[in-house]
Amino acid sequence: MRYSYGIMDRRKILLYSPHLFLSGDDLLVFPTKDFNKWHGDIKKYVDGLYQINSNNMEKTKSINITGFNLALGVLNNIRKEVEQMFDPEKIYDFSYLYISTLDEKYKKQKGNYYTNDMRRCDIKIPVKPKIAPWMKYNNMMEIVNQVSQDFASLEKSGERKK
Amino acid sequence: MRVSEGVPKGRIVELYNPGMFQEREEVIVFTRDELSRTYNSIKEQIDHINNIDLFFNRGEEWKLIGYWPKILASVYLLDRNLDSLLKKEPLQCYLDACLFNIIGSSHRNVAVSKRKVSAQLKLPI
Repeated sequence: MRYSYGIMDRRKILLYSPHLFLSGDDLLVFPTKDFNKWHGDIKKYVDGLYQINSNNMEKTKSINITGFNLALGVLNNIRKEVEQMFDPEKIYDFSYLYISTLDEKYKKQKGNYYTNDMRRCDIKIPVKPKIAPWMKYNNMMEIVNQVSQDFASLEKSGERKK
Repeated sequence: MRVSEGVPKGRIVELYNPGMFQEREEVIVFTRDELSRTYNSIKEQIDHINNIDLFFNRGEEWKLIGYWPKILASVYLLDRNLDSLLKKEPLQCYLDACLFNIIGSSHRNVAVSKRKVSAQLKLPI
């Protein structure tokens, strides 16, 4: 993305790389310190999401509902930060600046996100189904229907033979 | 964050709200359309995950294993957008929307090769 740093000079801004912009462009100007802080804060939360996922990367473990709720909480924080971008009264804590040092291997996107698991959700096959009373009833009725059909066909063929 | 709009005039930018910043303060300048494109994309990803959450029935915990990669895909895009804010590389979506070249070419060879790809250029975007 095109961006340039600049400095306030007598109520105007002196650009460091003015060649990036055409005259008549619509520009938005932020204080560098605040912008970097804002960017770092959101990166911090995104790294948090990757950390929640890091549990998922081990083969024996998978995401559970606690992790999901945690991720939604972190996401809520991101949403808040993003929405407060244009709020001039927001005061940032400049005591530290987050710089992401998370290993790239945690950030990789693996192949197609439409997995076998998602397919299972779409065609509604539970991984570990709890046997509910209606399932028992349906199962019984399937057997009964099958048997009655078989009997009916047997009787028909018997009648023909007679 | 304090923000002001501005218009470039050569090396200097004239601000609509110069009172927002202090004298000698360092500022960062974006073009509005590129920033809004990225900003909206970030918001879209967040909304997408929130929608997944809305339609997710807490009783059907087994579905989570399927939805999680979808959520991660959104997180990945969100991260990409954040990175693109402070990268010098041009935005890909922005390039896609600017296939038409308004500068006429005078060279004949160029014109011939240009005719060859005309079908491609006519693709609706």
